[in-house]
Amino acid sequence: MLEIKNLHAVVEGEDIEILKGVNLKVNAGEIHAIMGPNGSGKSTLSKVVSGHPEYEVTEGEILFNGEDITELDADERAHLGLFLAFQYPVEVPGITNRTLLREAYNTIARANDREELDPLEFEDYIESKLDVINMKDEFLNRSINTGFSGGEKKKNEIFQMAVLNPVLSFLDETDSGLDIDALKVVSEGVNKIANDENAIVMITHYQRLLNYIKPDFVHVMMDGRIIKSGDISLAEELEANGYDKMEKELALNGEAQ
Amino acid sequence: MSEVIQKETMLSFIDGEINSNADSVAIRAINVRGKEALENTPFPTRKDEEWRFIDLNTIKKNSFTAVSEANAVDVGDISNHYLPEALNTRLVFVNGIYNEELSSISDLPNHVIVGNMSEYGDHDAVKEHLGTITNYEDDAFAPFNDAAFEDAAFIYLPEETSVEAPIHILNVFTDADKAFYATPRLLFVGEMYSKATIIEEHIGLANNLYLNVPVTEFRLFAGAHVHHARIQRDSKSAAHVSRPIAMIDRNAEYHSYTICLGAKLFRNDPRVIQNAAEVDFTVDGLVLIDGDQIADTHSIMDHRFPHGKSHQLHKVVVNDNAHSIFNGKIFVAKDAQKIDSFQENRNLLLSENGKVNTKPQLEIFADDVLCSHGATIGHLNDEEVFYLHSRGLTEQKSRELLVYAFALESVESMEVESVEKLLLEEVIKYTTRD
Repeated sequence: MLEIKNLHAVVEGEDIEILKGVNLKVNAGEIHAIMGPNGSGKSTLSKVVSGHPEYEVTEGEILFNGEDITELDADERAHLGLFLAFQYPVEVPGITNRTLLREAYNTIARANDREELDPLEFEDYIESKLDVINMKDEFLNRSINTGFSGGEKKKNEIFQMAVLNPVLSFLDETDSGLDIDALKVVSEGVNKIANDENAIVMITHYQRLLNYIKPDFVHVMMDGRIIKSGDISLAEELEANGYDKMEKELALNGEAQ
Repeated sequence: MSEVIQKETMLSFIDGEINSNADSVAIRAINVRGKEALENTPFPTRKDEEWRFIDLNTIKKNSFTAVSEANAVDVGDISNHYLPEALNTRLVFVNGIYNEELSSISDLPNHVIVGNMSEYGDHDAVKEHLGTITNYEDDAFAPFNDAAFEDAAFIYLPEETSVEAPIHILNVFTDADKAFYATPRLLFVGEMYSKATIIEEHIGLANNLYLNVPVTEFRLFAGAHVHHARIQRDSKSAAHVSRPIAMIDRNAEYHSYTICLGAKLFRNDPRVIQNAAEVDFTVDGLVLIDGDQIADTHSIMDHRFPHGKSHQLHKVVVNDNAHSIFNGKIFVAKDAQKIDSFQENRNLLLSENGKVNTKPQLEIFADDVLCSHGATIGHLNDEEVFYLHSRGLTEQKSRELLVYAFALESVESMEVESVEKLLLEEVIKYTTRD
């Protein structure tokens, strides 16, 4: 589904390379976790894949279902079924959740020659998705993320994901800022959305989230590269020993650099 | 050798004599007063502090005649501009002249007056209040209206009367062979504990140049509550210089909202004067301009007695080469303690060449008050744009939605459903660009 090949990226207009040759392959039905210390480039990876204009790809490519999407605009990637759950969801006063989601849903439907939903149909559809994150109706009438608690913002990202029904979702530190109750709600939501036809890439600093959403693969990212991949035991090892130790071991074995 | 430099006055840009043929003694007295003031008041220049930033060429480079000399076209059918809530509480003025046929005022409570002032020239409220609170120092425009107006909207609410339906004062301007001037006038007198909503509209039906110089006077006695929406949709070639003023007594509430969409040159000087303790008033504004439009608001919130509450939210969106100017003065007199006044001017600049001047100005002589002000000028936030963009909306659509959201807050204060709806349509028209 997704194939990232030797991806290099810089901040637009600057020389400093943040991604230094990332390789990653994600198939339908899989859940991946990318872990790494602060500044390792894992959030940047999610932004580059979703088409953030702040970054420029200098080398390599991103293939999505065989199509090179490296040069596509963010909305065109969304139309293909890509979704980014933001680490810091943006507050947009004056636009309600309902307005954004209807506009987004119908735009994506139009781009894929699917039937758009009229306001009444959309109302039924969107309400059926509220259960995914245990949200009440009035949530739809609130301005996007405006005055939301940290937990509500993250829940809202997962709610949007449920409504837009993407093929591939990047969840950028969706666990940060959540208390344990909210973490459980968000995780349950993600588990409800995950199926054999879609795929999820979670980006996280801590292993905690992985107790609630079981990944098929765990990748460790450091200094702009994925330096090690494995299963859940890799995450457990990181939690026990920390990133420093793994970095040293890899250096000794000549795997890093 | 000596040379007398003749200063320009408003009359320098007027073609022909200003002749008013009002029957009413009260109106004629104001006409005479206006003519005198007009001859002795120089036309503003950039050297005048209050006119520093504004380009007045739309007036100065032209010459305006009376409507009677301009060969104005017939008004035609304007029923698409009628408000369903105000079908029988509507006065229509065409190029400043009362049009009885298009007006309808059959739906009013007893003793409430909504009509053309020339029919009510002897009414005590006209004699007592017409032209008494409008006091713009060294001003060329209010005297011009004083001098030239014949017809005027007169609204009178006796004590403890409430008019349920909004009162629609519809000023329309038609195409003409020559640039003309119009001087719409509105006097509102609300006796104790009266209540009404006034929708004052200015609509240009064509794209011609004209000069619209309205004066509105609102006199609210104790406990009167008034909601006053002013919607300026003049022709994009027109000049509009407004003098809306309100004087309010104890326990009165006056909430005004000015929406600026039209005119090439718009200058608006709203003033609210607190005439007793315990009042509550609003001087909100929404300006949406593009092309080479100029919109200048110079407001005064004049607190003269204790315990006043006032609020001003002035929102501006500027695109292309448009230019917005805001100068908001908050005055608090020495003994006007416990004033709670808040002013905010938010500007959204959408283009490289757009221009914004903003100057909040607080002059406070009392020592126990709560007054604050703020002004911001900004572009659309890139992260907000990307957030919407990443959800599948085009970048253009994302930007439009954000501008729409910025303007929305002001539109939602309208309280009359059809007005909200028409303003939302105007906002969408403004934000949607090809």
